[in-house]
Amino acid sequence: MTTPAIPEGVKRCSTRQFTLWLAVVGAVLLWGVYAMFLIWYKGLNQTGMNDAYGFALWIWADLAVIALGGGAFFSGFLTYIIGKKELKSIINYAVIIGFICYSSALLILALDIGQPLRGWFIFWHANVHSMLTEVAFCLSCYFAVLTIEFIPLVLENPKLDRIPFLHHLSHNMHEVMAVFAATGVFLSFFHQGSLGGVAGVLYGRPFAFREGLLIWPWTFFLFTWSAAAVGPCFTMLVTWLTEKITQKKLVRPEAFELLAKISGWMLLTYMIAKIADTWYWAAVTAPARGFSLMEFYSNNPIYGIWILIAELVICGIVPALILITPKWRENKNLLVTAAILAVLGVCINRWVMVLQVMAAPLLPFQDWYMYMPTWQEVATTILPVAYGAILISLAYRYLPVFPHEKELNPGQ
Amino acid sequence: MKIDRRCFLSLVIGGAVGTTLTPVPWKLTDDIAIWTQNWSWTPEPEDGPSKFVKSVCTQCSGGCGIIARTIGNRAIKIEGQPDHPVNNGSLCPKAISATQHLYGPSRIQGPMKRAGERGQGKWEKISWDEAISTVTEKLAELRTRGKPHSVACISDTDRNSVAYLLDRFLRAYGSPNFIRTPSSADAQELALYLSFGRQGTIGYDFKQSDFILSFGCALMDGCDAAGQMMSAFGDMDKKTRLVQIEARLSDTAAKASQWVAAKPGTETDLALGLGHVMVRDGLYDKAFIDSHGFAFEDREDEAGNAYPGYRSLVRDYSPEKVAKTTGLPEKTIESLARAFARARRPVAVTGFSNPAAASVNQALAVFALNALAGNFQKPGGVFVIDEPDYLSWTEMKIDKTASAGNQQARIDGAGTKRFAHTRYLPNRLPEAINSSQGDSPVQALLVAGGNPLYTLADPQSAKKAFEKIPFIVSFSTFMDETAEQADLLLPHPHFLECYQDVPTPAGMAKTVISLARPVVKPVYDTRHTGDVIIETAKNLGGFIENAFPWKNHEDFLKKTLSDQWETLEKQGYWTDDSSRDNSLEKLFRTSSQRFEFLPRAGFETQGSENPKSKVQTVSLPGDVNELPLVLVPYSTIRISGGAVANTPFMTKTVDANVIAQQDVFVEINPETASEYGLSQGDKATLKTPAGNAKVRVNLFEGIMPGLVAMPAGLGRTGFSDYIAGKGVNVYGLIAPAADPASGLNAAWGARAAIGKA
Amino acid sequence: MAQQPQHTKTKRYGMVIDLDKCTGCGACMVACYAENNVPFRQDDSDKMRSLNWIRVMKVDNGKAFPDTEVCYIPMPCMQCDGQHMQGHSPCVSVCPAVATDYDYPTGIVSQIYTRCFGCRYCMAACPYHARKFNWWDPKWPADMEKYLNPDVSARMRGVVEKCSFCYHRYQKARDKAYVEGRDELHEDEYQTACTQACPTNAITFGDLYNPEHAVHSLSRSKNAFRLLERLNTNPKVYYLSSKSWVRRVADNYLEGENPEQVAKARKAAATH
Ligand SMILES: Nc1nc2c(c(=O)[nH]1)N[C@H]1C(S)=C(S)[C@@H](COP(=O)(O)OP(=O)(O)OC[C@H]3O[C@@H](n4cnc5c(=O)[nH]c(N)nc54)[C@H](O)[C@@H]3O)O[C@H]1N2
Ligand SMILES: Nc1nc2c(c(=O)[nH]1)N[C@H]1C(S)=C(S)[C@@H](COP(=O)(O)OP(=O)(O)OC[C@H]3O[C@@H](n4cnc5c(=O)[nH]c(N)nc54)[C@H](O)[C@@H]3O)O[C@H]1N2
Ligand code: SF4
Ligand code: SF4
Ligand code: SF4
Ligand code: SF4
Ligand code: SF4
Ligand SMILES: [Mo]
Repeated sequence: MTTPAIPEGVKRCSTRQFTLWLAVVGAVLLWGVYAMFLIWYKGLNQTGMNDAYGFALWIWADLAVIALGGGAFFSGFLTYIIGKKELKSIINYAVIIGFICYSSALLILALDIGQPLRGWFIFWHANVHSMLTEVAFCLSCYFAVLTIEFIPLVLENPKLDRIPFLHHLSHNMHEVMAVFAATGVFLSFFHQGSLGGVAGVLYGRPFAFREGLLIWPWTFFLFTWSAAAVGPCFTMLVTWLTEKITQKKLVRPEAFELLAKISGWMLLTYMIAKIADTWYWAAVTAPARGFSLMEFYSNNPIYGIWILIAELVICGIVPALILITPKWRENKNLLVTAAILAVLGVCINRWVMVLQVMAAPLLPFQDWYMYMPTWQEVATTILPVAYGAILISLAYRYLPVFPHEKELNPGQ
Repeated sequence: MKIDRRCFLSLVIGGAVGTTLTPVPWKLTDDIAIWTQNWSWTPEPEDGPSKFVKSVCTQCSGGCGIIARTIGNRAIKIEGQPDHPVNNGSLCPKAISATQHLYGPSRIQGPMKRAGERGQGKWEKISWDEAISTVTEKLAELRTRGKPHSVACISDTDRNSVAYLLDRFLRAYGSPNFIRTPSSADAQELALYLSFGRQGTIGYDFKQSDFILSFGCALMDGCDAAGQMMSAFGDMDKKTRLVQIEARLSDTAAKASQWVAAKPGTETDLALGLGHVMVRDGLYDKAFIDSHGFAFEDREDEAGNAYPGYRSLVRDYSPEKVAKTTGLPEKTIESLARAFARARRPVAVTGFSNPAAASVNQALAVFALNALAGNFQKPGGVFVIDEPDYLSWTEMKIDKTASAGNQQARIDGAGTKRFAHTRYLPNRLPEAINSSQGDSPVQALLVAGGNPLYTLADPQSAKKAFEKIPFIVSFSTFMDETAEQADLLLPHPHFLECYQDVPTPAGMAKTVISLARPVVKPVYDTRHTGDVIIETAKNLGGFIENAFPWKNHEDFLKKTLSDQWETLEKQGYWTDDSSRDNSLEKLFRTSSQRFEFLPRAGFETQGSENPKSKVQTVSLPGDVNELPLVLVPYSTIRISGGAVANTPFMTKTVDANVIAQQDVFVEINPETASEYGLSQGDKATLKTPAGNAKVRVNLFEGIMPGLVAMPAGLGRTGFSDYIAGKGVNVYGLIAPAADPASGLNAAWGARAAIGKA
Repeated sequence: MAQQPQHTKTKRYGMVIDLDKCTGCGACMVACYAENNVPFRQDDSDKMRSLNWIRVMKVDNGKAFPDTEVCYIPMPCMQCDGQHMQGHSPCVSVCPAVATDYDYPTGIVSQIYTRCFGCRYCMAACPYHARKFNWWDPKWPADMEKYLNPDVSARMRGVVEKCSFCYHRYQKARDKAYVEGRDELHEDEYQTACTQACPTNAITFGDLYNPEHAVHSLSRSKNAFRLLERLNTNPKVYYLSSKSWVRRVADNYLEGENPEQVAKARKAAATH
């Protein structure tokens, strides 16, 4: 008898159904791949970017996806370093989501640069003063770490596990995983921070610029903190979605409960820091450069003060309060709502720190700069979503992602 | 096989290190990166010995000295010639980017004859021999048919050696129909002739003047003398007052110390109003007028007819009255007149403006202000420069056919009794052809240096007229709108490839002749128009051949410029200060030997009516209720409306609220725009009696409410894809209107309506 | 301001543009295109994607007809010295690949096209929009490649470019001086293409440290100011204008602030 490809003791949909699903998502993926080809072949003129919008949709997608992928490092930190055993139930999935997020980020970066074939100059001719250099180094190292964290899981596929070499490899990797997890946490802390630094150091852009600590602007810390706070929300959200789709319980409730609680407190403290930062920026940093707060939020078709309220209150304080309140977070609907809001909040934050930065005029005689992505940009931004869906489907189908799936779904 | 941790780690690390130690990945990545740095489709300009050649720009009549940088036989860059007396190193963007035209897709690369229908764009390459013999045969045939006068020639100048050879050719051949395309200089030169009795140009001593009163001159907006004017402005003491009278805040107005926003078309009234105040208050140079003025006071002629003088003429132009016509406060008129009169070296300037404002009366009214200030032939004032004399006629005998042809009336009506002193009336040419019964009065047309199908007012009717002309030859360097409709193309070299003399440009206060010379060897199979004329003359034989005893154009130039040739070769220009002679004794060559405030020559041609009736301004046709607005053209130095289209580089400098993709923006005051429900960037339809156009609107506070301003120089079909197809030709929307005094086109605008599209 | 000893080899090349003299003619732009092989397109009207190393902005005083005034502001790269004048230019400090750098001997911010990999971080950092991206492969139709200047390399698609203060002209002048055994360049030996082309002489160029160069005193004159000075970018391009409204649109001011006051406070702070 041949070894089944599907992990033992769990039930998966029929191959037909699975193929059909793959075909649908695959079509979306191909659309993205076609756009990707156009961009590489014809150049960045295929995008809606311009000289004012040097950074646009992709950089936002990058920052957002990395922030959301922060669930991996923060869960890893909680599991391996703090030793929160409850999270074993979800850590594999967190790593996969992180892997998807980070590989997507790298792909988008490769699309985003005008000379992809020279991309390696960032390592070879590295400028240590540049936040982007820091991002590139930490990002690629951390991606390597995630890959290393992901490989043993892949090797646990029953078919692969039968091959002795791979079996031992997997075993050895498991043993050193804590070291990698720790490295990952460290790297992650820095690149999340340097991504925040990317905008925060722009002292020519009063909308983005922040004072800070030594060489690090406050956004450096705020980005790390917000990624740690919201990353787990995203992990929970994706897990919840997977449960809905598969109509199974996959993760122990304690894992959810703990992640939600920690997320909540992280988010609340983050919001306090973020509000303090915003207040200082609005009251001191910007006025010293001749800007009043409302100048950043008026005379243009989209960027109204609503965006600040949405980010800080509706998608910040509100989810934080829900998550720290045990009664509320025990309600799955409220919990999911809070997670969605928190995810939106961090996405708005990253959007503002990329696109609104580019949009705000600097000289009094300039107008707001507006930008509209082309379908090529949209397609390549959706591409990672399709890719993620496929990878998750494959992983879920063929790998023992959820160690407690069997126990949680006894009937099957 | 069992793998322990150590084995595992060394495997991973060893593998990684091992691969990286081989040169393969490094070499590959490096090669790929190097490849991106040397894409074969990114050109690598060839280096070589560098030279700097002095020459002159001939792309408008400005006559600016240039220095061309070459590398081998490549022209790399055009810079200003710092010691050139015209421009002192200043150039307009057209000269700086001239190499784009030299090497660009607009060039006609060799002689060609039409292969398809006219205007279809199908051409067949031919040899120069075939081209020239085609012309010769056609001309010979018309002569044998006794119709030499049906040959006309259009040129954009009548003052350089090519124009001279063309004109001489026509006379030897037997046609009086040498026509110069319209120019802002037309009215000035005519007014100069009438009031001074001299043929020539007017020089203004801007650099030494302390008060410059400009009647709408586009001094900084790309006038005929852009290099000269900008150089003068750059050198101007900041205490010099420049006052700009114009309804739109042009770049000249923006640089002026004072912007006087008078209604368009009322400059003559304003000039007379300023005269009123100066006369009324006795603020004028009595000594000058006593000894050199004519018709300042009322007078009687020998027959006892009474004529009013300037004094009584301006009596009707009280500030109160002029305030109403111009829309200016009375106070402004009073103070402007006093400031002008009290300045130490004031000068009033007209011309350098749209030829549409070709009102001789406006020119005369402004000259009168200079006369009141007594500033002729004085530092900071007005100087008269005679026509160039180096091209003086050498003896030439003509045959009977030629002399019979030359006796015929000009087709454009210039020089007839009605327009006795006007030399050329190009805008009347289409009308003359279109209204003729049967055959076109023009049987062959040589276009050498002008682009009438684009630059004549109402190009549509010009095109209709051209369709009736059986034989059209274009000597154009570029595939312009006229060349597109021609039968035969005999391309003239680019100005960086050949010799060309450039006479004193308008505005210069002393005589300066410059020489353009070959900076590079001809890029394409072109031939100098002068050479073609001489060769055609030789082919025609007889008296015509004898009239051209020169080997070629260069030989002609060297001989005719023999005294100055050496200097011209060495420094690129030759100057003569005699025109700066400050004696007034021989200045005026009118019949009165004085400056004529109201020139006799002017109204003798039109009978002895009351001269007051002659101070008419051209009023615009059309129903005010239906067309409540007024469209005016404006020029911008970044777009070329006239001689030689703008280069791609110039178009590149134009702001996005002037041209966006295919659309041209019209400027309109926000107040007027809101009356018509228009906001910034809206698409709109503009309507005038001459036609409709799709435009977009640019709201601009600096334009008088009720006006719509459109840049000149757009809506081309010729040249290349980099120039054609952008916006509309504003002159296609402005029907010509004749100046009653001269017949020149003096339509300064058109009634218009605008509505959201 | 860091005190700079005279007669050292360190220069601080800068520009002073007299806005009272600038007519907005665009000659500087065109001269720069021609000198620096800047490409062009059939439709270059999308100004947000048009390669220009110097742009001439048209600004107005916001008043209604006939009290309207306009002023042109030519904007090359400001060659920012950055805070504390240590070459910490907004763009240089962010470039991850050192494809743009601060040249200490001249103060000129360089751009290496063959090193740039087109991440555009420098564009995001530059508050003057002085940096331009090559969205397309450059093309010179017909025989136009013939006019390209061999002193300046043509750029390829996907990289950033900007005003270099015509650095190749500096190199040529320096080489010539070296051959002639001189250390110092004369003021007129090194002039940028736009300075040379400006028909009204609105632009003056030279070493801001050298009291014999015109820019030295011009940049210190009463009417001198820089764009967005409050951002501490420390540009080496100065402007002159006799009009106070022009000065006001050159930077941002809160209600109740006035440019003179803010400038005075900044000067006072700098001397402490
Ligand atoms: N860049 C550039 N330079 C050029 C040319 C070009 O096309 N582009 N063409 C060359 C040629 S051939 C010539 S003749 C000259 C032509 O150039 P100019 O002779 O100077 O004529 P325009 O610039 O067309 O118009 C001059 C000014 O007149 C104003 N104006 C319009 N109507 C009226 C009016 O009724 N009254 C008054 N007072 N002002 C009015 C316009 O706003 C404009 O600013 O320029 C030469 N130089
Ligand atoms: N639409 C429009 N009409 C106008 C004006 C305007 O601004 N716009 N301006 C008016 C004014 S001010 C004037 S002066 C007239 C000018 O009217 P034109 O004298 O007709 O002037 P251009 O359009 O300059 O035509 C010159 C043409 O000559 C060709 N050419 C260039 N160099 C040479 C050369 O060296 N030799 C030969 N043989 N050909 C050459 C070019 O192809 C160019 O198209 O137009 C008037 N009409
Ligand atoms: S003003 Fe005329 S002559 Fe002078 S540079 Fe410009 S186009 Fe040439
Ligand atoms: S103006 Fe912009 S590109 Fe130039 S040095 Fe300053 S920040 Fe850098
Ligand atoms: S675009 Fe080029 S110059 Fe700019 S930051 Fe990136 S690598 Fe450096
Ligand atoms: S200094 Fe040189 S590179 Fe810079 S804008 Fe001027 S001409 Fe262009
Ligand atoms: S060349 Fe001189 S006058 Fe013309 S736009 Fe440039 S700075 Fe202004
Ligand atoms: Mo003209």
